[in-house]
Amino acid sequence: MKHLLAIIDSIGCALVLLWRSAKHLGTLPRQFPRFIEQCYLIGYTSLPIVTILLFFIGCVLALQSGYSMENFGAKQFIGTLVGLTMARELGPVMVAILVAGRVGSAITAELASMKVYQEIDALVTMNIPPERILVLPRLAAILVMMPVLTIIADLCGWFGGALVSQFTHSISVDSEAYFTALKAYMKPHDITDGLIKAEVFGFVIVLVCCHIGLSTRGGPREIGASVTKAVVTSLILILVLDYFVTKALLLAT
Amino acid sequence: MNNTSQTIRVGLFFLLGLALAWITFESLNGGRIFKQQGYTLVAGFANLKGLKTGDEVRMAGVKVGAVKLTRLAAHRVEALITIEPGTKIPNDAVASVEQSSLLGSNYLGVTFGTPTNPLLQDGDEIKTKPTVDMSEVIAQLGSLGSKLESVIGEVGQALGTGGENGNLFQRLDQLVTANGPKLTETISNLQDITAKIKNGDGTLGRLVNDPKMHDELLATVTEFKSAAADARTFMADSKTIVADLKSGRGTIGTLLYDETTAANLKISMQNIRDVTTKINSGQGTLGKLLADDQLYRDAQGVMKKADRALDGLSDQGPITAVGIVANALF
Repeated sequence: MKHLLAIIDSIGCALVLLWRSAKHLGTLPRQFPRFIEQCYLIGYTSLPIVTILLFFIGCVLALQSGYSMENFGAKQFIGTLVGLTMARELGPVMVAILVAGRVGSAITAELASMKVYQEIDALVTMNIPPERILVLPRLAAILVMMPVLTIIADLCGWFGGALVSQFTHSISVDSEAYFTALKAYMKPHDITDGLIKAEVFGFVIVLVCCHIGLSTRGGPREIGASVTKAVVTSLILILVLDYFVTKALLLAT
Repeated sequence: MNNTSQTIRVGLFFLLGLALAWITFESLNGGRIFKQQGYTLVAGFANLKGLKTGDEVRMAGVKVGAVKLTRLAAHRVEALITIEPGTKIPNDAVASVEQSSLLGSNYLGVTFGTPTNPLLQDGDEIKTKPTVDMSEVIAQLGSLGSKLESVIGEVGQALGTGGENGNLFQRLDQLVTANGPKLTETISNLQDITAKIKNGDGTLGRLVNDPKMHDELLATVTEFKSAAADARTFMADSKTIVADLKSGRGTIGTLLYDETTAANLKISMQNIRDVTTKINSGQGTLGKLLADDQLYRDAQGVMKKADRALDGLSDQGPITAVGIVANALF
């Protein structure tokens, strides 16, 4: 009961944080350099790890599906499988998990240390709402960067799958057939569904991490605890929301 | 890291993302997300069979457009299809929903039509024809299968789990078991016979192995055949004779079937009886001749006289002697 109340309290606090940030939406153009900085930190610096990780996820997906599809002679559909899986599911989810680990933890650590070392209190004293300069640019940045990261992740995964399909001896589906199969069954809304999911995940990650960072109390030890809590909560929310968002998107089409 | 280079990197990164997204959409859908090209036709069907927005329109297997929209209209479904500019579709071209694979992706196939016919314009309706649904075919196959199953079940019942006397195979088995030695004997006899035939022993063997025998048999058969033909003509003749007889034609026929003849015959027989009776009782010349030996003695006397006369007239011809005998007799 206590835990349930704590969860509901956290949700309420996160929504209040969102509302306070959204109130300052009009100040975003004045904070453009800050927004760009956050874009750089969230998006640009995540590019290498996203590229590498999703490339190999595409590779291994093609390898595994080639191995299992060979049993019932559906090897020519590897492109379809890898393409749809990357675009609809693995692209957004893996990018979100990477962002939660790489960016969410950083956000929480930064905000928690600011809170612990009373920088937040100083901002409040100066009548600068911390939501305006700390939360809003991050939310805006992740909303802009998540689709970019996701589309790059999708393409990396597709090419990884194509390479493996072509050059693995037991699969030997050349890349032309692979991409023909990929295109044959893929609709534009498959991609947009993936991008919408990525937006939702990114938004939730940043909101949760900001909230946990800003609600840290105590000393340096609590900073580490907050980071752990933020990352775990983000990962759980990503996978739980994944189901519901996917279901909602499937109903919408 | 200074602020300008950071901005440039973020800007470039964002543009890269946009470009990649655009390329992806472009290659997936032929740029349809940004501009709608070509002209639109309406295809009405009784059943679209899962044709959906974005499916290809193919003319002889080549993609010429896509399905823009499917909608329900009054008692039919309509597919609005977008045809690429430059594709000429005559007004007698026929569209039908085709399956590109058994796994169920559909496309709209369009035939060539007659090239000289007027072309379809934007908003026109294209002719359609219903196609056989794979699931219908499979359903028919299924009912066929159940019928086959029942038939085979009956056969199996007849063969397998038959009535109170056990099944057919069981009975066969019993038969064979019971008559095993006899069957073996029969078969060995048959073996002997065939061996003999093979070696040319016995009549059949010679018949089989000796060409001369065969020729003779052939000749015999031919003779039989001709004899049979003769018999047949004979039978035919007999038949006509019998028919004649029956109808009272010819002598025997008359005899058998004509009553006047019978009456005549009876009268004749009566007469003959009368005559013989008279002869027997010695009446009349003949009767006297037979019954009265006076005449015999007279004749003997005449013969003696003739003998003497012949002795005297030995140089006279036989004709005279006969004439004398005849004279003496009559």
